[in-house]
Amino acid sequence: MVIQIVVTFGVLLFILPNIYSSYKQKNLTAFGSILWIFFWIVGLIVIWFPELIGLIGELMGVERSIDALVYLSIVYLLYVSLRQKMSINELSKEITLLNRKISLKDVKREKKKLSS
Amino acid sequence: MKTYIILPAYNEEKVIKEVITDIQKQGYSNIIVVDDGSNDNTYKQAKSTGVIVLNHPINRGKGAATQTGIDAAKLLDADIIVTMDSDGQHNPKDIKKLIQPILDGKADVVIGSRMLNTKGMPKSRIVMNKIANIVTYIFFGILVSDSQSGFRAYNKKAYTSVYTYMDRYEFESEMLGQIKNAKLRIKEVPIKVIYTDYSKNKYKHMSRFSAQGLTNGVKMVIRLIENSLFK
Repeated sequence: MVIQIVVTFGVLLFILPNIYSSYKQKNLTAFGSILWIFFWIVGLIVIWFPELIGLIGELMGVERSIDALVYLSIVYLLYVSLRQKMSINELSKEITLLNRKISLKDVKREKKKLSS
Repeated sequence: MKTYIILPAYNEEKVIKEVITDIQKQGYSNIIVVDDGSNDNTYKQAKSTGVIVLNHPINRGKGAATQTGIDAAKLLDADIIVTMDSDGQHNPKDIKKLIQPILDGKADVVIGSRMLNTKGMPKSRIVMNKIANIVTYIFFGILVSDSQSGFRAYNKKAYTSVYTYMDRYEFESEMLGQIKNAKLRIKEVPIKVIYTDYSKNKYKHMSRFSAQGLTNGVKMVIRLIENSLFK
């Protein structure tokens, strides 16, 4: 019971305000904030009602309910990894375009000089 | 007809000056060198010849540098663009052969193919090129004899209708895909590659197999798969 209270207070006092301030500072989108809040609320429900894990296991057709959590975690990690890969790709493209913009400045300047 | 020669260069201080003067000797004065964030004096060496030298502050790869060169030529209103390697592997005498089909109005893009005359070419290189051609065909649906050749000529219609986003060597394949989609006319002409001691030594630090392009080939396939997933 003590651990459940500590985690609940931790989530309510630190994590949820942190999500809110990240959203205010525009580090998180509205969708991202809702997703994170949902994630932590589900976490809290599971902590207070552990028998629900058994339900998830049954729903997924997995014998041991803990396996269901492992599978869900793998899916989540893959999703996070995919998001990171997409973000890195986007950044890489932006770096290239920035590089190009900087290097083409001289050409544009030269062209302006010739036309004036 | 304004013809611009584009040389993407990375750490080529030893040969870049010679490559530029060899091209100038063939009567081409419009040369754009794109120094792709070199760690050596490539920029200074190229600048000393009086040609246009652009500088990528960060190394982004041959594909990115070539596209920057194409963008610069576009700004300078080029009629024909020729892309070449800056390590001296391509013979400037072949430029004329490359742009002739464009001047004759027979092609929009001309590829200088090493595979139409493989005499003197290492066998492993021939195999790797053939694999690259198949990979290009699988990903972009276009089959040419030398999909990885960097010695190419484009007319205005061609270079204004393509824009590559892939930074490394796989951009050659991406470019071919765009050429196909834009329904441009392609012609291949045989070219002779000069395998100098310099170009051979460039890959000396790598193992024999990676030097033959195996590692680059695998990386290229991975990037092509990623690109088809994350575009």
